[in-house]
Amino acid sequence: MQTSQVTEPVPRAVVEGFYKALAICDMQALASYLDDSVVWTISGPIDILQFCGQHSGKTVVLKLLDRDIPLLLEKRRLNPETMVIDGDRVAVLGKLTARRRDVGHAISYRIAQFFRFRDEKVVEYVSLIDSFDAVEQVLGQPLVRQPCRRAADNDFISV
Amino acid sequence: MTSSPSSGSRPPVAGEVPRSVVEAFYKVYAARDVEKIAEFLADDVEWTISGPIDLLPFCGSHRGKAAVIDVIGRQIPMVLRTFSFVPDAILIQGNQAAMLSRQSSRRSKDGRTMSYRVANFMRFRDDKLVENLSLIDSFDAVEQVLGHPLALPDGGRGNDGDLVAV
Repeated sequence: MQTSQVTEPVPRAVVEGFYKALAICDMQALASYLDDSVVWTISGPIDILQFCGQHSGKTVVLKLLDRDIPLLLEKRRLNPETMVIDGDRVAVLGKLTARRRDVGHAISYRIAQFFRFRDEKVVEYVSLIDSFDAVEQVLGQPLVRQPCRRAADNDFISV
Repeated sequence: MTSSPSSGSRPPVAGEVPRSVVEAFYKVYAARDVEKIAEFLADDVEWTISGPIDLLPFCGSHRGKAAVIDVIGRQIPMVLRTFSFVPDAILIQGNQAAMLSRQSSRRSKDGRTMSYRVANFMRFRDDKLVENLSLIDSFDAVEQVLGHPLALPDGGRGNDGDLVAV
């Protein structure tokens, strides 16, 4: 997410309208909030969660949200728990819920989303998810941990 | 450090956390200066890190100032030393702050470098931090820590039926 560009503050009504459209997958409404040059980045393992990565341009992003994702996940919803609006930026902490279309099992995991607006349009989006949890839920079983060394081996990370 | 049009000199109203407090906290947290971090923590602070606890033992909820200080100041440095914590965005509204950062660390035992994004959502009360939730791309973090790709149940990656969207 770029740090140097600061534009006019985005009105709360615009943010809420945009997020409502995103949360319920109202693509017609969502389209009106995306800048033509929007960059949409989803952090996660691209080889497993193939929609992760960077997607550029309104057409590409709308296709991602409206056609590609629904082929695999249905009833996708975002449930915001915290929303922070500061100038032209918005951060949301929430939960994504969905059902895998092929097997029908439910998926729910935390998601952090960061948006940047310009002229009341979204120009940049970055999301982080608890991707380990998400992968396990999508696969429907725990990841194989056998090859992994555990706590005693000091092979850990902190944040 | 990232700021916004609302980051001017307007004094905060009751209940708001001043930007100066958030930025000061960020500075000492980025430096992992435990003594100074402690000055910003409420006694009943709750610090939650999202991720697989059995693989990343620091994940989960840590309650109370002493427990949080222990995690940041003792347990984590035994394993990892963070040498860079750079903000992409710092947002503040009312008593809440959200941060998107790039963290780089070295494993303590072999110096291997890891780098990934971190999101922090924080809540302040009386200029003290009472709640933090850290979210990382945990799959990537685990793989970087282990130094190899995770083994998947069906042995495969990229199967069309095993996808998720966010």
